[in-house]
Amino acid sequence: MFRSNNLVARLFERQTHRSTPGTNIHRARQFYENLVPSYTIYDVECPDHSFRKFTEDGQYLISFSRNYQELIVYRPSWLSFSCCGEECDVHDLPPRANKFSSFFTQLYCVSLASSNELICKDFFLYMESNRFGLFATSTAQVHDAPATGGAVQGVPSIEKITFHLLRLEDGIILDKKVFHNDFINLAHNMGVYLYEDLVAVVSLRYQTIHIIQVRESGNLVDVHAIGEFCRDDDELFLHSSAQCGTINENSRQKQALLNSNEGVPNSGHSTTPNVFLSGIKQRLLSFIFQGIWNEEADETNRVQRLKKKFYFHFQDYVDLIIWKVQFLDRHHLLIKFGSVDGGVSRNADHHPAFFAIYNMEAAEFVAFYQNSADELYFLLEKFADHFYTPPNNSLHTNFISSHSNNLNACEQLTCLKNKSVSFSQFVKKTLVSLPFTCQSQSPSPYFDQSLFRFDEKLISATDRHRQSTDHPIKFISRRQPKIPKFKIKPGPEAGNTDARAKKVSSFLFHPILPLVISIQQTMFLQFSVVNIHFRK
Amino acid sequence: MMMNSGSSSGGGGSSGGGRTSWPSTTSPSGKRIQKELKELDSHPPPLSSAGPIADSLNHWLATFLGPPGTPYEGGIFFLDILFPNEYPFKPPKVMFKTRIYHCNVDSSGNVNLDILKDGWSPALTISKVLLAIRSIFLNPDPYNALVPPIAHLYQVDRKRHDELAAAWTHRFAK
Repeated sequence: MFRSNNLVARLFERQTHRSTPGTNIHRARQFYENLVPSYTIYDVECPDHSFRKFTEDGQYLISFSRNYQELIVYRPSWLSFSCCGEECDVHDLPPRANKFSSFFTQLYCVSLASSNELICKDFFLYMESNRFGLFATSTAQVHDAPATGGAVQGVPSIEKITFHLLRLEDGIILDKKVFHNDFINLAHNMGVYLYEDLVAVVSLRYQTIHIIQVRESGNLVDVHAIGEFCRDDDELFLHSSAQCGTINENSRQKQALLNSNEGVPNSGHSTTPNVFLSGIKQRLLSFIFQGIWNEEADETNRVQRLKKKFYFHFQDYVDLIIWKVQFLDRHHLLIKFGSVDGGVSRNADHHPAFFAIYNMEAAEFVAFYQNSADELYFLLEKFADHFYTPPNNSLHTNFISSHSNNLNACEQLTCLKNKSVSFSQFVKKTLVSLPFTCQSQSPSPYFDQSLFRFDEKLISATDRHRQSTDHPIKFISRRQPKIPKFKIKPGPEAGNTDARAKKVSSFLFHPILPLVISIQQTMFLQFSVVNIHFRK
Repeated sequence: MMMNSGSSSGGGGSSGGGRTSWPSTTSPSGKRIQKELKELDSHPPPLSSAGPIADSLNHWLATFLGPPGTPYEGGIFFLDILFPNEYPFKPPKVMFKTRIYHCNVDSSGNVNLDILKDGWSPALTISKVLLAIRSIFLNPDPYNALVPPIAHLYQVDRKRHDELAAAWTHRFAK
């Protein structure tokens, strides 16, 4: 790595010295130590939008109108100005630097939501390969919705959830997918996971994982629906087999009626209460059963084990619902199962939970863990990058710090591990992050823990609102621990007049440029202070 | 090791058996079920097993591994067993929770076994019931069919029947 901290010296060194094989990108990223967003323009004049995020390639800034009906997309541009005379550095920035439009050019404004629908402000997925964006709009939640048609009791219902696929180049809506009377956890992309061209959507209400393919042509195509049935033609096979007597004939007609309602992926729920275990439950239970059966060769011991570990908990296993899903690769899903209460509530830490790995092609489970399983924890500790599967396979996202690719993050984890009172509690706490939420981490190099150190309570790569303090957030160089490289201060320059008012801030880091937007909002008040941090 | 709720639920007319009113260990049926459980523990039937769900005595789950050499090979079948309060004077109710292509099991999971109906005798035990269920895996009884088309196919075209049953096992009982 570089010997000097001086930018010019580093550039020379790059010309004359080769980097260690395989580390050229790491070395290039070190230049970010010299190029930091250290200059702040406070309270920028900007349109009153809700800013969501930069796309992972830095091409677009996504924002929504305050009434959550419209999508407004900007292209980040660099502030440019000319000055006459010598010694340009001492000049102040021109007055228009205070304008949002000097940094961002509006590309277009598209109306996404219609009538009673609103844009889900926390939901956005980006497909870098063909620059498609996936957005969601929905109607209001109904909390005490009756559990009809095979729905899980206790899960709220949303009358209509629409996914919109947009080509971000020109804002053309390419395709839509509508879910009716369903519940999908859209907050922070929780219920939806994008991997390459596959999208997994978890219907909490009908306990179905919908696998949807995004075609290059811009179409959303249903590929699998895993839940009541595991294979695509299972239902067809069931109805076409000879066993179907009069009862099934009847339900098949209903099915046909339902299916005529086109574009509704979840119309296939059986209308009669089902006595049989759902396809995915049958597979899960038989996997658990077989595991215990094979564990013990002695018959009498086996009986005892089955009684204690399987029959005793059988109803609990049956009552488990799918909470969250992520892709591990194109064929394997990591599924988190838990109780109904925990699936809906935000803080599900104290609810019992299980992790299972499911192979979609073979339609079988490969592994099953409790949320206190050491084995899964060790896998996560060593191979976190295999769990964090970036959907786009892009260069930027490959360098997001995790405890398996970054020594500093690893040390932090070890420190937490040593501090924790009980190991199993620690394991549970760490495993809460599984399955990972799609595109929830900013790929910005300023969050690279081998370059910078910062207080993770105040700021981190994870895309969340944070409580804001009046102190600027320091980013300290890893190599020179005494020198703060830059500070990010959200809110007005002079600090807030009312110190008691609760404030939350969010930070949007550009993935490549030294450009950050910080938005500070005072609770219960609508206005927000937007600062732009960049390299002057 | 077995718990009980303390209250004897003997006379309750609850049918179908929720988990709320089960025969306690002090009731005659509870004692009987306890005894059968012990017997089952010491002599488990081949390729099957059964046990009470949670701590209720009258709601059991039975598991059958599809016998080798049959089209059900490789499948794992779960069955609900509900003991009425009048047990052993009334037979337990057995339901498939796993889909199966079988002429003696209807599309709602009901099993047609003579010993679970008119052929029931208080001298029979759960082990006998498990053995009887195991025997219909090995030899379906087309003469007492709940699903006549399957029984018909079984008699007319055994090969096709076995193919279908194996396909069902593969799809729904893995």
